[in-house]
Amino acid sequence: MKPHATRRHAAKRHAVHPQAGKHWRNPLYIGAGIGLLAGAIALLAVTSDAQAAPRARGGARTSVNHASAGGGAAHAAAANRGAHATTNREVNRNTNVNRNTNVNRNTNVNVHNDIDIDVDDHWHNGWYDDHPVATAAAVTTAVAVTAAAIGSVVNSVPPSCVTTVVNGVPYQQCGSTWYQPQYAGTSVQYVVVNPPN
Amino acid sequence: MRRSSLFVAIIAICAAAPCFAGGQNESRGDVPSSAVAATATPAVQPEAVAALEKMSAHLRSLKSFGLHADTTIDLVTQDDQKLQFPGTIDYKVRTPDGLYIAMKTDRKEREVWYDGKTLTIYGPRNKLYAQTPAPPTIAALLGLAEDKYGIELPLADLFLWGTPKAPVSSLRSAAYVGPARINGSVTDQYAFRQDGVDWQIWIEAGDKPLPRRMVLTTTDDPTQPQFSSTLTWNTSAAVRDADFAFAPPKDAHRIELVAADVAAAKEASP
Repeated sequence: MKPHATRRHAAKRHAVHPQAGKHWRNPLYIGAGIGLLAGAIALLAVTSDAQAAPRARGGARTSVNHASAGGGAAHAAAANRGAHATTNREVNRNTNVNRNTNVNRNTNVNVHNDIDIDVDDHWHNGWYDDHPVATAAAVTTAVAVTAAAIGSVVNSVPPSCVTTVVNGVPYQQCGSTWYQPQYAGTSVQYVVVNPPN
Repeated sequence: MRRSSLFVAIIAICAAAPCFAGGQNESRGDVPSSAVAATATPAVQPEAVAALEKMSAHLRSLKSFGLHADTTIDLVTQDDQKLQFPGTIDYKVRTPDGLYIAMKTDRKEREVWYDGKTLTIYGPRNKLYAQTPAPPTIAALLGLAEDKYGIELPLADLFLWGTPKAPVSSLRSAAYVGPARINGSVTDQYAFRQDGVDWQIWIEAGDKPLPRRMVLTTTDDPTQPQFSSTLTWNTSAAVRDADFAFAPPKDAHRIELVAADVAAAKEASP
């Protein structure tokens, strides 16, 4: 993984298209599509550098108007969009790119998931919807599993994980590392937690 | 349908590189004028606005309905390549406090349940659901979903037109394109522009002015990705309380739904 490359991309996007991020909300529907992208990546991984695979960075909005408190007349002014929570999240996401990359490396999570992480949480869910484990493409780029920091959030878990239900919570257990799923918007994330008792 | 699709393509091309005779002589710095040419007409045609308002009023008059949408959405890669993903969305609605949405593609399925008290997000394939207390109306629910959880429901416009959330003053351009058929029904096609989005809508002709197709072009992305939906309405659909109350399957597990800023904060502190 080349975190610097990722950061450069992000910075460039911002420099060239300062407005581009503002519609990166979380359209419920958008994440549905990414699975096909993952399929394409899986194919590419066979013959080419996986990191050259296309990465999704955004998508079409799915509603003209906004239901948010800043919607309506206020929405007509672009400045007002900046006032509501979505923009704050975007800022976080964009600054999290490298941190998330580190998470991936530390936890053996498929680098392809960077597709998802450095864009928006509505991207990544599609291709591990049925199973939280990264696809075969992930295995090709996997490195040694090391301990993940408690509280880390990842978008998929290593292939070696098994679903273990404890007190009704469907953890993903990967050796000594336990992940607890949660919905962020409509996307599932996995939080590294202490082993349940 | 075929004809209208072709027309859309023509408009799209012309929007990128003006190809109507009048377009080439216009200053590129002009305030957004209609891509449909007709340079002599005002940017915001009153008849187009009136049609939108008439449709909005009709939408607001519906007490309950079922709706099926065949959709496509463009996602954009970091290399600015657009990829298109088809899908379907099904709605059951009962104003003011019943909403069910099922979204489906080959890659992801999600259901949204709302019964006036609780919002549920459920993945029929991953068997994970999350619930949170919800406000008493669909309108308030949409606001909460977007503000707190970062969830923008697709086609939220259906619930926002005719309300202060969708003021016609946001329209920078409004134009009537012409008659068109959508799935055999006679409709009228209109083209609108607002900040960040160009959008087209096909409104059914006659005494039930329902939106039958929409195409949204996101203009604040240089690649201009599109979301399209063709809508099939059932305004006489029978809806029951059970349609909106989520009953978890036995093999489903409940997980947390985290607020958008909470999720971001966790990511920010490894």
